[in-house]
Amino acid sequence: MKARILDRADVLKIVDLLRQQGYEVMAPFCGRGRDTYFDVVTEQNRDQVQTHFANPYYPPKRYVLPHIEPMLKVTRANGNVRIEPIYEEPKRAIFGIRSCDVAGIYHLDLFYLGGSFRDTYYDKRRKNLFLVNMVCTDPDRDVGDECFCVCADTGPAARDRFDLQLMDLGDEFMAVAGTPAGESLLADPVFRRGTEAHVEKRRAILDEVRKRFKTSTSWFSATVRYVSHGEVLEKTWEEIGNRCIECGGCTYVCPACTCFTVSDRQTGPDEVERVRIWDSCALGGFTRMAGGHNPRKAVHDRRNRRFFRKLAHYFIQRELSMACVGCGRCVDVCHGNIGMPSVVEMIRRATAEFENHEHVSR
Amino acid sequence: MAHTLSTCTFCGVGCGLYLETEGNRVAGVYPSFSHPANRGRICARGWHVHEVASSPDRLKSPLLRRNGQFHEVSWDEAFGFVAARLNQIRDRHGPDSIAFLNSPRCANEESYLLQKFARAVIGTNNVDHGAGVYCNNSVEILLDMLGVPATTNSIEELAHSEVILVDVIDLARRLPTVAGAVIRAKLNGARLIVVGTRSHRVAELADFYLRIKPNTESLLYGAMAKVIEDRGLMNLPFIKSRCSDYQPFLAQLRSYDLVQAAEGCGVSSELIEAAALAYAGARSAAVLYSSSMGEKSEQNIRALINLVLLTGNLGKQGAGIFALAEQNNLQGVCDVGVLPDRLPGYARVSSVGPRAAVERVWGSKIPVTPGLSARSILTDRGEGKVKALWLSRYDPVTTAFLPGIEDSLRELDLVVVQHLFMTDTAQYAHVVLPTTAFGEEQVSFTSTERRIQLAEKAIDPPAGLTPGWQQLTKLAGMMGICWKYRSAAEVMQEIGEVVPFYSGASYENLAHDYGRQWPCTKDTPLGTRFLYADHQGGTRFKFVPVQPGEWFVAPKNLPLMLVFGHSLYYWNQNVLIRHSETLKREYRSLFLDYPDGFAEISIEDAKQFQIRDGEKIRLYAATGSAVSTARVTPEVMQGTIYVPYFASDVQQQILGERGFSSKAVPVRVEKETA
Repeated sequence: MKARILDRADVLKIVDLLRQQGYEVMAPFCGRGRDTYFDVVTEQNRDQVQTHFANPYYPPKRYVLPHIEPMLKVTRANGNVRIEPIYEEPKRAIFGIRSCDVAGIYHLDLFYLGGSFRDTYYDKRRKNLFLVNMVCTDPDRDVGDECFCVCADTGPAARDRFDLQLMDLGDEFMAVAGTPAGESLLADPVFRRGTEAHVEKRRAILDEVRKRFKTSTSWFSATVRYVSHGEVLEKTWEEIGNRCIECGGCTYVCPACTCFTVSDRQTGPDEVERVRIWDSCALGGFTRMAGGHNPRKAVHDRRNRRFFRKLAHYFIQRELSMACVGCGRCVDVCHGNIGMPSVVEMIRRATAEFENHEHVSR
Repeated sequence: MAHTLSTCTFCGVGCGLYLETEGNRVAGVYPSFSHPANRGRICARGWHVHEVASSPDRLKSPLLRRNGQFHEVSWDEAFGFVAARLNQIRDRHGPDSIAFLNSPRCANEESYLLQKFARAVIGTNNVDHGAGVYCNNSVEILLDMLGVPATTNSIEELAHSEVILVDVIDLARRLPTVAGAVIRAKLNGARLIVVGTRSHRVAELADFYLRIKPNTESLLYGAMAKVIEDRGLMNLPFIKSRCSDYQPFLAQLRSYDLVQAAEGCGVSSELIEAAALAYAGARSAAVLYSSSMGEKSEQNIRALINLVLLTGNLGKQGAGIFALAEQNNLQGVCDVGVLPDRLPGYARVSSVGPRAAVERVWGSKIPVTPGLSARSILTDRGEGKVKALWLSRYDPVTTAFLPGIEDSLRELDLVVVQHLFMTDTAQYAHVVLPTTAFGEEQVSFTSTERRIQLAEKAIDPPAGLTPGWQQLTKLAGMMGICWKYRSAAEVMQEIGEVVPFYSGASYENLAHDYGRQWPCTKDTPLGTRFLYADHQGGTRFKFVPVQPGEWFVAPKNLPLMLVFGHSLYYWNQNVLIRHSETLKREYRSLFLDYPDGFAEISIEDAKQFQIRDGEKIRLYAATGSAVSTARVTPEVMQGTIYVPYFASDVQQQILGERGFSSKAVPVRVEKETA
């Protein structure tokens, strides 16, 4: 991949370049306290764009899969019924998307575009989406207490799946192109060639940042093994379920969660609008069937389902991508402390202990 | 796209959340990470606020009923009609023939102006809020025993509680963020005592689960107090320096016997003793109960507060009593005076000095006779005295369980309904005035932890719609009283002049940080985290002796206790929930599964009486019988049957047409084969 260097003071010029090319640029801004969010860059707020910031809580997946998305409109007139799709094909760039979230978008690409059915709505939103990945280099400002991208192998610097990657080297930033679109941006005179020294600097900074994750590891592989082989005790799922208050937060904030439902709403006497809305397997009604039967009625059966989808080998193999990117949002959003790291630990401990005592043979 | 920090308006926690808007559409929602009450977490309802807020079936213009049909009319015509009719009815029947009820979800400003309109424009104290249908017990008792009618500490302090006692409330369903705080406290080593007949998520984690028979809380708490007193574990320094009436309380305590109480409650004496010792042994312990529940009797609340006083669990971090408001502004509507016998700030309407002070600010007299309660107004129009009723965002036909509501509404000469949607109650209105929804107006709400917070305007309302407080201002003007409020902030300014503990809560102050917990005065502009920290004020807390009473022994032929449950299924009925596909599925598919209603029965009893889920059953009481459908669930305790409040037909058939009971009723159950 082509890499270039630019001065620290010129980093936001990339935002300007993208805007000049007609992109609606979403960039990180500071809210109150720790709150940060992506918002549209305008003339007025351009100078408040952040380069080191706590990862915005609201996941950027909503730019390809909106929280609520109008899909089509049905109108009736003169005995005729007309159905019109409502498509949006924005030309949008996300400046400052984190490496974990880049992996999340990639995972969603595999789900919505990688199978035999291509989701048209997703496709149109994804088509012109330009991702400028910001590598996490500041252990205090960029890395959160609950981040574990090194365990999910998605960060702190994404290896690919971005259009452009920016990394703070101190007085300078390194820009790496991941796609032809990204590369074309590097032609701008604000960029210059780098040296071996820059590459060394990058390596050193990443080594340093990785140390920050020591206290928040999530030992996936043993848990993947237990889950995939169906060895997790029912009791463990029940313990996890006892702490779940069924808010749905974990699935809503997860960059790699894909579920949705569809709702028809009457918008006028002769008009109905269909919208797509995020849905959650955490909720009891998610698997409720017409007629009332619900195969996953009990809360621990739903927790079980979530962690199977995230950790069972079958799913990881199917997409060649794990449905957990290590962003840590599920830890922050959970009322009962059963985010991914807690669950992984609970499963690992309980199952290992049981097997040590029972000498389970397979 | 814009991100507006706001406050969720479902339950009493008042979680901080952001509304994301795209143009004039609410397109998304997510929690605020730094908000002190929820710290990045919200519940399923909050996650769908954007779906409710963008619901297209809003009422867009005022409706007037003519010849049995609703017609869209202009705002001028609607207001003109209301003003004329109110004047007519008042001239003919007097000011007390008009009543005003609001929902505990109404904002502070519109609630304040509603009671001001009633008192200063019409001349009546007939104001009350929807939860007052059950009782304003909690307000009265807290004022009597503690002096301040509100939760004493803050939600985030639960992290510092060594022991948490949860009285009868399903926290995970009613105030999920508080459930989370309790669960996390428990995971961090706090010990959890859960009291109640129904089991629920938080109860599953209890260290001491006191699964008592219905309505025996006061017996249990009395027995616990007795254990604490016997072992000398009471906080004598606290009691001696800050409480009164300890001796009468002690004297009454002698009539409690641990073994008898165990029998009466249906819980072992060892467990009661262990829970009492755990509670008394904590450096700071918190007690949580629901102030919105109908079946919470006076005695039960008093007994709980006695326990808090006995152990000195006030005025320090991690302690306190949480009078949980299940609706987002139950605390606020009471604070600003939507009570028939109290003014804004809680002074009685019959008081002299405080009433005069409010009269001075208002420039008008306030009637001295307390008004009618919501229950009285809705069940029989105050025995026929009420001729006109104003309902602000309130839908009693759906959410109140009293008998006779539809009849009462039909008999009234004037029914004015302010709401977002055409509710079941609005069907009985003469005039329907659409109002602005969450996200369309800047107003304030007061959460259960006394936090006065702003809910911001993120989008414009549908054309022509104005906030409730503005509509009342306009109407007052049409009736000859000129109010000059140009913004909700100005209404709040006046609230600050009239309610001493709101005096520092200007919008400017509230916009910093995350609102302010009252008392928020000029001297304490940053608000107050927990109450009673100092005893300079000379407040004396008061013990109130509670008799053990005769606990009920069910007759042999009616061995089960039927509980008419109240708050648990509130959201299942609430109109907002119907406007989100997901929430509708989560809350209302229960009605699809049991289209004729249901009565909940325990697994053990179902087995014993050979009743399967979904089967028709007949419930026989001494006063009548009713048919319902069985819903078999492990949440219900063996020996009890739980009938949700909206099954008013079951209630009427068992208790009679005007029957209402907050006590359990002995019944027997049989399969209905007919």
